[in-house]
Amino acid sequence: MKLKLGQKSEGKELRVRLVVLGAFFVLGLLVLAVNLYRLMVVRYEEFFALSIDNQFKDVRLRAPRGVVRDRRGEVLVDARPSLDVFITPAFCQRCVQEVIPRLAGYLRWEDEQRARVEAMVKGAHGPQRYQPLVVAVDLKRDDFDVLLSHQHLLPGVDLDPVPHRNYRAGAALAHVVGYMNEITQDELTRLNGARSYDRPPYAMGDYIGRRGIERTYESTLRGTDGWVKHVVNARGEVMRDGKGSVHERDRVAPRPGNNLVLSIDARLQLTAEQAFPGTAGAIVVLESTTGFVRAIVNRPSFDPNEMTGRVSSQRLAALSKDPLEPLVFRAGQNHYSPGSTFKVVTLLAGLQSGVVHEHSQASCGGGYRLGSRFWRCHKESGHGLVSARSAMQMSCDTYFYRLSDMLGIDPIAKVGKALGLGAITGLDVVGEVPGIMPDTAYHQKATPGGYTKGLALNTAIGQGDVNVTPLQLAVVYSAIANGGDVYQPQIVRRVERPDGTVKQEFTPKLVRHLDITPEQRSIVVEGLKAVVNEPGGTAFRVRLKDVVMAGKTGTAQVARLGDKRLKKEEMDYFERDHAWFAAFAPADAPRVTVVVLNEHGGHGGSDAAPAAAAIVQKFFELERLDGVAFDRPLVPAPSPAVTAPGPALVAQPSPEVDAGVEAALSATPSLVRPEVQ
Amino acid sequence: MQVRVERRPWANVPYALLVTVVLTAVVGIYNLIAASRPAGSESLVFSGQAKNQLLFLVVGLGAIAAVAAVDYRLIQRLVIPIYLLNLVALIALRYFGHKAKGAESWFVLGPFRVQPAEFMKIGMVLMLAKYFHDDHRPNQATYGFLRLVPPAVIALVPTVLVLTQPDLGTALMMTFTAITVLFFARPSAPVWVAFGMVAIVGVGVLWNDYVRVQGEPRVTLVRHKLKRHQDARITSWLDPNSDLKGSSYHAMQSKIAVGSGGMTGKGWLQGTQTGLRYLPEQHTDFIFSVFAEEQGFLKCLGLLTLYAVMLLAALVVAYNAKERFGAFVAVGVAAMVFWQVFENIGMVTGLLPITGITLPLMSYGGSSMLSVMIGLGLLVNVSMRRHVF
Repeated sequence: MKLKLGQKSEGKELRVRLVVLGAFFVLGLLVLAVNLYRLMVVRYEEFFALSIDNQFKDVRLRAPRGVVRDRRGEVLVDARPSLDVFITPAFCQRCVQEVIPRLAGYLRWEDEQRARVEAMVKGAHGPQRYQPLVVAVDLKRDDFDVLLSHQHLLPGVDLDPVPHRNYRAGAALAHVVGYMNEITQDELTRLNGARSYDRPPYAMGDYIGRRGIERTYESTLRGTDGWVKHVVNARGEVMRDGKGSVHERDRVAPRPGNNLVLSIDARLQLTAEQAFPGTAGAIVVLESTTGFVRAIVNRPSFDPNEMTGRVSSQRLAALSKDPLEPLVFRAGQNHYSPGSTFKVVTLLAGLQSGVVHEHSQASCGGGYRLGSRFWRCHKESGHGLVSARSAMQMSCDTYFYRLSDMLGIDPIAKVGKALGLGAITGLDVVGEVPGIMPDTAYHQKATPGGYTKGLALNTAIGQGDVNVTPLQLAVVYSAIANGGDVYQPQIVRRVERPDGTVKQEFTPKLVRHLDITPEQRSIVVEGLKAVVNEPGGTAFRVRLKDVVMAGKTGTAQVARLGDKRLKKEEMDYFERDHAWFAAFAPADAPRVTVVVLNEHGGHGGSDAAPAAAAIVQKFFELERLDGVAFDRPLVPAPSPAVTAPGPALVAQPSPEVDAGVEAALSATPSLVRPEVQ
Repeated sequence: MQVRVERRPWANVPYALLVTVVLTAVVGIYNLIAASRPAGSESLVFSGQAKNQLLFLVVGLGAIAAVAAVDYRLIQRLVIPIYLLNLVALIALRYFGHKAKGAESWFVLGPFRVQPAEFMKIGMVLMLAKYFHDDHRPNQATYGFLRLVPPAVIALVPTVLVLTQPDLGTALMMTFTAITVLFFARPSAPVWVAFGMVAIVGVGVLWNDYVRVQGEPRVTLVRHKLKRHQDARITSWLDPNSDLKGSSYHAMQSKIAVGSGGMTGKGWLQGTQTGLRYLPEQHTDFIFSVFAEEQGFLKCLGLLTLYAVMLLAALVVAYNAKERFGAFVAVGVAAMVFWQVFENIGMVTGLLPITGITLPLMSYGGSSMLSVMIGLGLLVNVSMRRHVF
């Protein structure tokens, strides 16, 4: 017989409650079932898509940046491998609390560096959290090994060899080649434009060209990054199969950037660097008949390799506070009184206006009187009777005072402007200044009391308000040399594709032609030849044996002098005269124009002309050596494997490179301050 | 008499219950093999965890047999020592316990880690059953406030101890189990009203602290007193889009895993969410998302059916029990299993906030397995001895 609970008085009621409880349980499970149906059947596609999204990570394959070579194929800028450390915030668990302190310990970071990285990681929001951030560059091998062996303690930290820009010429071409540094948030927004975050052309931490051709040719040099999808786990670690290879999907190979071939000749550049006589200044070497730059010196300079790494703020401050302004591109970004080098413009204006001719003469008694004022010639005792030729030869100021007194300022300004003064030359390095070519209108506006005749006298000898950049002066002298063709100076000869084929060839860009008759040219050039080649010429001591050089010295006053003439050593550095020398050669069939500016260097004849002579001599030596004036590299450009990733891809130095030259080129930084007295 | 006692219990073994329990545990091991495979692997690796779980299952079945073998009236007499022993273990945990994730949850005994809270649940169920058995007054059918004070204390003492470990999940499960047992005991109408009011206030607080749109800073009633991770869990439950890559990450990844399983699943060992470790605690708390992703909706329904059969079979044991103690033990064990299943599957599907609750018989873990098995052993025991007198 069965005795059940249910048979007791309370039992029946307990059974009812059991049924209710059972129903409650079933109801609960039904709620779960309905919810499962909602997720797994109704919203299946949505969640399935999300699960697919989850498991792939877009990995960027950096495109190698284009290489920069000189006109003969010698590598000036390429890449070297740098071991960099990245943090991907999204995958970096307990990043600020644990991972960054560990990393700081391994890499012996200062607090400042650690705070900076913390701020970077904290500052990443939204999709940016999935972009790797560069937190350390150029790891030493030992540090790299330490990190590698502790990688399990560093979630979200990646170590990758990344190609870094290698400026082989060091400080030598820093201002024209430029450097790179990290892209800013604003640039990122601007350059990536409205594109989605999926595969942006630029990513946080990328480097971008900052100056010189790195900046001007950013889009040419920069390749197109490739992408590949990797299967990753929840911590962002790339999964490998049993054999250790990575699952890949949808690989898009990176396209390397195009290479640039400059018109620079590294050998001539080296000579120019070595020949530069002073503390600060510039040398510009142009092809007289094309405007291509063969060499360009800026002193003092800086090391673009340093600027492209993580230059410290103190270092940067030191560079920008340096009174010698090493960051300024003097050849184009600073203008100076041209001094007597300007006299070619005055003479040409006189010839073109018909005010003077070959045999016009003037008498120099040590100066010129206009009204109540006396304009001094640099030779107190006077030059006696001078012609155009001898006035140029001896740089007689009186002749040009007289000439400008007859001319007025406007004909001079007209010729000066026609030769490119007062406007930027258009070199492919941004930030040029236009200089000043004063005329009546300019003085009416800028000078208290307006234009007076005396201003023309100052201008005639390259003092007063007339200001030129060394680059402009080189264009002026080239135009006089070649008979009136004013060329836009260019530094890039051609753009080559990664496989070495030519993508774009730059041809000389004629800005304008100034009609200079052969007679006029001959009068000016004869004067310039006499400067160098005849006894009594201001640059007679630098005459060359094999080639006839035509040139003009200039000694530009910086400070208004008192009655007593001081020796260079007696003056404060920043008050000393600028020494100029502008020349071309051969005088009758010019090929090369050289302008040397030795800031506060003293006299043009002694402190600038020797450098120009050395450069001209080297130029012709090299031409003889090379046999022809070629425009093709001697060695075919090495063609990198298009798809090979990694740093090894960018071109190796061509076998031609002379190690000595290279070493000397990179050993030229001259950030030494002058002794300021 | 002796002969009848020896023979008849076998006829009353709840075979449906045993079969569903073993079946679920076997499915659990099958699923655990997938959940514990090396990240990224799609090949069959019989992991250490799967082997352990098999061992736990065998031990668990042994525990069922052992618990069933002892006459439950003996157990009934030992309830107070059992309950007190569990309390002592919980207190001792504070001094000798192993800290993990900020909570003291385990004793380390050789190779095993024992979670006293799991066994406390059984102790509490037994103690409540004993109270309602002993306090039965046929002339006073309903329980008023006063009569509910002792069982409330019985439940509250261990619950508070567990809560302060801190193990919010287990404490919640104990609370729900105790409330179920209390309501099963038939409380009086005022108790119902009071409970209803408390529930309304609770929902109101949640609404005010988490849902209501109000200016910053929010005027909160309880929220500011919660620990940050607890607050984040409730936030991610009530507002899952608030911080997709932060605290809602686990909730979202789990939903993706479940949802992407679809009708038939991605196949055993083929789940990508599982294989690539997008799921947190995927072999314990989030085991169901592994099952759902790889096995699909239909097999999930099958699993829910298994649990339903298990629970109903447990209630049948209660239904057939000879006296209040057995019935209340059966109800308590059933409630314990139900609430764990409900909360666990509810949380992995985004229906409920995430608390560290294992899915009975599916999740990896010896203590969890053993406590469920001991509970089931009690059910078998009650069922076998329903005709003893």
